[in-house]
Amino acid sequence: MPELIHVGRDEDRDTYYLNMGPQHPSTHGVLRLRLLLKGEEILEAEPIVGYSHRAHEKMAENRNYIQFLPNTSRIDYLSGMIYNIGYCQAVERILGLEVPERAEYIRIICCELNRISSHLLWYGTLLMDLGGFTPFLYCWDDRENILDILDEVTGSRLTYCYGRFGGVTMDVNDEFLQNTLDFCKRFRERLPEYETLVTENIIFQNRCKDVGVFDQELAQDFALTGPILRAMGHKRDVRRDEPYGIYDKFDFDIPTLNGADTFDRFLIRVEEMHQSLSIVEQAVSRIPDGPVMAPKVPRKIKPPKGEYYFAVESARGHFGMFIVSDGTEIPYRIHLRTPSFANLSSLRSVLRGTMIADTVAILGSIDIVLPEIDR
Amino acid sequence: MQSLLDIPRGARSLLKGMGVTIRHFFRKPVTVEYPRKRAPVAKAHRNAIVLIEKDDIGSHNCIACLQCEKICPSACISITGSRPDGIAFKRPDKFDVDFALCSDCGLCLDVCPTDTLGYSEVYDAAGYSRADSKFDLLEAWRDKEGEALGTLRERERKKKEEREAKRKAAEEAKAKAAAKEKAEGKEDDKTGNGTAAS
Ligand code: SF4
Ligand code: SF4
Repeated sequence: MPELIHVGRDEDRDTYYLNMGPQHPSTHGVLRLRLLLKGEEILEAEPIVGYSHRAHEKMAENRNYIQFLPNTSRIDYLSGMIYNIGYCQAVERILGLEVPERAEYIRIICCELNRISSHLLWYGTLLMDLGGFTPFLYCWDDRENILDILDEVTGSRLTYCYGRFGGVTMDVNDEFLQNTLDFCKRFRERLPEYETLVTENIIFQNRCKDVGVFDQELAQDFALTGPILRAMGHKRDVRRDEPYGIYDKFDFDIPTLNGADTFDRFLIRVEEMHQSLSIVEQAVSRIPDGPVMAPKVPRKIKPPKGEYYFAVESARGHFGMFIVSDGTEIPYRIHLRTPSFANLSSLRSVLRGTMIADTVAILGSIDIVLPEIDR
Repeated sequence: MQSLLDIPRGARSLLKGMGVTIRHFFRKPVTVEYPRKRAPVAKAHRNAIVLIEKDDIGSHNCIACLQCEKICPSACISITGSRPDGIAFKRPDKFDVDFALCSDCGLCLDVCPTDTLGYSEVYDAAGYSRADSKFDLLEAWRDKEGEALGTLRERERKKKEEREAKRKAAEEAKAKAAAKEKAEGKEDDKTGNGTAAS
């Protein structure tokens, strides 16, 4: 139960603070929202973060480039693969390391599967926040399928440490590819089911349509990225704008909508799952044979002195790594630009003037991951 | 008025949703009744690290090079090693792993020069205190250590013999070659002189 604090101003007895969290099930981690309410209307909402701060950026200054690998997937544990591979790609680009073709394909398959699993988790939890328990279980079932597939090759279920500078740790076999295709087929059959169950559900629609509309200015003010930005009508996706890896060889759409409300953000993510599925299928059908590790990877990673920035599209938006190297084995500084942090910052403006019952819907539709915000 | 119109629409969407859930009701269950049944573990699944048996030695083949200890980002491995008599490399005396710290990154497996590290199959090791997650990896190998040392010594001795034999052979070959060269050299000189003269 959220704790109630009465402000105690006699002349205005309906104005009070409500602490939502830090241990609230719908804050997806440990986020505390301090809501100033007047009756049911939110006058002011203040997200308070920092409860799961683990100093990843500081840890990067105390270990060498290779040793930072396990940290990357723990920044955002729901789409850890994208972060892990993204970090490898950043360092590879600095070193000018060529990655074998097969490894690139494996990376794409794993990253896109991970993106789907992350979206599925978001789907389930959003629905559960809104009171629908059944879709949550169905999502979990499908997500479990992905985790099993990834477990077969990466060895982990959530916090992957699969990428290495110059490739990946383990080659995939035909069974993995077949399982992936089976999943795609099965999931394509499941998505219409979700549609009937959730998207067409009138209660869900009424709770989401025209709720939490983002003003266009917010996009610039808070540097919003990811599905939120695309739901506002901006076609921005790092995979398209600055292709990394071999994304430029794939045929996929960047879905956009103009409503900027909770329902549009929901539809965008569902459509993104479709697109990711198509990328996975293309990759599986075209994967070449060959090694999965570059032949000559230096034993000691020493990027030349300088400052580097590299970005990938995570499930939540633009994830950037700013790496400062002083020419030694240990990074001078790694700054992580995480999408949820920027997206959450807009919450204050969005929640102002809405009803308290919509808070969870809006918060859920932003799709935050707290460890990624706190880092 | 709008809300009145919503009623039939709502009822329809509700029934449709029910249809989906009913269909699921007749599908196979997707859960595993742990702990009565156990889910299969993927072959590549990463758990606590263990030392793998090498068939030709009959024990693990850790040479206490400390590379895994050095690369481990979580500092969860601690090894000390010493060189037993008659063996060219070290063997570990202590190989402790604190699995509570391990991040299952697999970096230690990558650097191990003898490929003697692997993952255990146990995926649900739980304990009541932090001490429960500290494993002594050598424990399983203690009683085999004597035998393994014997094998290794034997191997070392054979290698030495081989090396000795090779060295001898090489020396002989060298001596032969030198003798031949001497003979050839003389011939070379002759031909050389010949060409120079012409
Ligand atoms: S898997 Fe990683 S964290 Fe665990 S012992 Fe090996 S190097 Fe250390
Ligand atoms: S890297 Fe391998 S051989 Fe070296 S100490 Fe570790 S386990 Fe033993």
